[in-house]
Amino acid sequence: MAGVRDVRLRDGRTWPVYEAGAGPALVWLHGLNGLDTEDPTLDLLARRFRVSAPVAPGFASLADLAEIDDVHDLALAYDDLFEALGLEGVALVGHSFGAMVAAEIAAHVPRRVGRLVLMAPFGLWNDAYPVADIFAQRQPDLQALLWVDDAAQRRFAQRAPDPKSAEGIEATLKRIQGLTAMTKFVWPIPDKGLKKRLPRIAAPTLGLFGEGDGIISPRYAADLAAGIPRCETAVIEGAAHMLPYEAPDDVATRIADHAGAATAAA
Amino acid sequence: MKFHWFHLMPYPDLPEDFRQRTHSVWVDIPSTLFDPKRGHAVYNEYLDELEFADAVGFDGICVNEHHQNGYGLMPSPNLIAASLARRTSNAKLVLMGNSVALYNPPTRVAEEMAMLDVISGGRLVAGFPVGTAMDTTFCYGQSPATLRDKYREGVQLIMRAWTEREPFAFNGKFTQLRYVNLWPRPLQQPHPPVWVPGGGSIETWDWCVENDFLYANLSYFGYERAAKNITGYWEAVDRLGADPNPYRAGFLQFVGVADSDAEAERLYARHAEYFYNRCLHLYPPFTDVPGYSTLATVRKGLESQVTLAAMQSQSELKWKDIVERGYVIAGSVDTVVDRLNALADKLRVGHLMVLCQYGDMPKDTTLYNTERLAREVMPRLRHRFDEWEDRWWPRDTLQQRATPAPVAAVA
Repeated sequence: MAGVRDVRLRDGRTWPVYEAGAGPALVWLHGLNGLDTEDPTLDLLARRFRVSAPVAPGFASLADLAEIDDVHDLALAYDDLFEALGLEGVALVGHSFGAMVAAEIAAHVPRRVGRLVLMAPFGLWNDAYPVADIFAQRQPDLQALLWVDDAAQRRFAQRAPDPKSAEGIEATLKRIQGLTAMTKFVWPIPDKGLKKRLPRIAAPTLGLFGEGDGIISPRYAADLAAGIPRCETAVIEGAAHMLPYEAPDDVATRIADHAGAATAAA
Repeated sequence: MKFHWFHLMPYPDLPEDFRQRTHSVWVDIPSTLFDPKRGHAVYNEYLDELEFADAVGFDGICVNEHHQNGYGLMPSPNLIAASLARRTSNAKLVLMGNSVALYNPPTRVAEEMAMLDVISGGRLVAGFPVGTAMDTTFCYGQSPATLRDKYREGVQLIMRAWTEREPFAFNGKFTQLRYVNLWPRPLQQPHPPVWVPGGGSIETWDWCVENDFLYANLSYFGYERAAKNITGYWEAVDRLGADPNPYRAGFLQFVGVADSDAEAERLYARHAEYFYNRCLHLYPPFTDVPGYSTLATVRKGLESQVTLAAMQSQSELKWKDIVERGYVIAGSVDTVVDRLNALADKLRVGHLMVLCQYGDMPKDTTLYNTERLAREVMPRLRHRFDEWEDRWWPRDTLQQRATPAPVAAVA
């Protein structure tokens, strides 16, 4: 049965984690919109893997960030979660902000990660193609940076409640809360030293980028590959920052192939 | 009731098509629009105006801090206050103030304010704003997620630095100092009065009451619109069992005094329109970055987003709207007195900060407005709230102060 449960950590803290599917373990770290249990790529992966998708600290309650001050604290918090879940050498997949977190986990605690997939990762900075300022955009402008596939964007938008309804107001507050949590780790520039830690990532890594991503340019594929010892990258056509929604079949297949190899080897 | 003369120091030469040509007056305003030679004249005229406000009897003169802002030429209000400390004699220096989280370490604020207090003979009012989202997060790179915690820790450090008499270690989350030992320390003991300029953050109300800080609502949109904020503050005062002393609150109001209402329009309309249409040409996403307002505040404000949005989409504000909505209280002496009395009735604020210079208003008009307000309006409102003691005002001001005394060069 798929659903969210509170995982209890060693020190008594609890952490909401969505679990779905059966098979080899795969951890999914959501992006800037927060955990979406109807993410089509996540859905496809749950058909082949036992997926654990934690809610990033702060996205459920900002109080959860009280003791997490930087990316190092954050990576170690995830290490505690992996410990509680009994995960080691696992396939770790992150999208957007979640990909930055995934890279930090793999760099800080390499033994936790067997295979790594980074989709449109935050965390790097190149003056030649700076990461867009997602916090200083009008909503329509932000959407134009996130998506190139109009149909996928519409499908996503249709699932959102009417912004004027009580449910819609809660959703707006949730979105603001998630972005607030993010600012703790990516403000004002999302470079918190990941580049110098990339060589610590031992896991074979797949970097996926949306060709039309207005936030993380696909040119960051080269920066990623230059830093991670075993890294392949691919640029997905017809997709932007929201590539798991815009090209779910392609993306899920690539992830499964990459992660599946890990489980075969394990 | 006390009157304080506030200068924003707007740049007066923003082009007519500023709204069409530029993205925002704040954060990314094209710096090519600033002509330093013109700036030289403008700074000196603005200082003249502040000094004039002292000369005609305002209780306080106010300066504030904004960064990368076309209507604020004071990234460092302390520099302006330092000049005023020497060139003025009676008015209190209401420094509104230093955005504490931007100073590293915040003891810098404690030191500079202590210097100003000592140099001015105990005339400093210490303002501690959080700072706008534009100033703090976009211009100065503070994370919205930690800004308020960092600000409060900084204020705590400053208060300790001012009041403790032995060196102490400060082990904060944002600042660690092995030896905090203020030198010089402020003239006012135990410390200058603390004012907190704020918008509508509900946590700020409680915090001000709990710490006995004055809460000043700085709005450009008049007292009708501000009523919600000030009412929220008075509710916090009541809920926390503090006395409803009007002097624990302040408010900012644009004013224009003339012979008649029509004359006021002739004198002030274009300068007010310059301010509301050019100086407030703000790119909305800069104003509401996620995390700047607490979720509780956002939740409270959600219903009024429509009002805000309507305001933002307004193409051009005309004098008629500006006056009718009370953004600027303007007209004959009687009109201004009536409306300021209504403001005092409605908001119950003991400290009124007035903007007599706005937009591209030239010096002669500014001095005219300032003098009429001081001589004809202020005397008719001074008695308001006389029954209350003002505990948020400098008390140790020296009666005999040193005066600037240049020494003649020996030939």
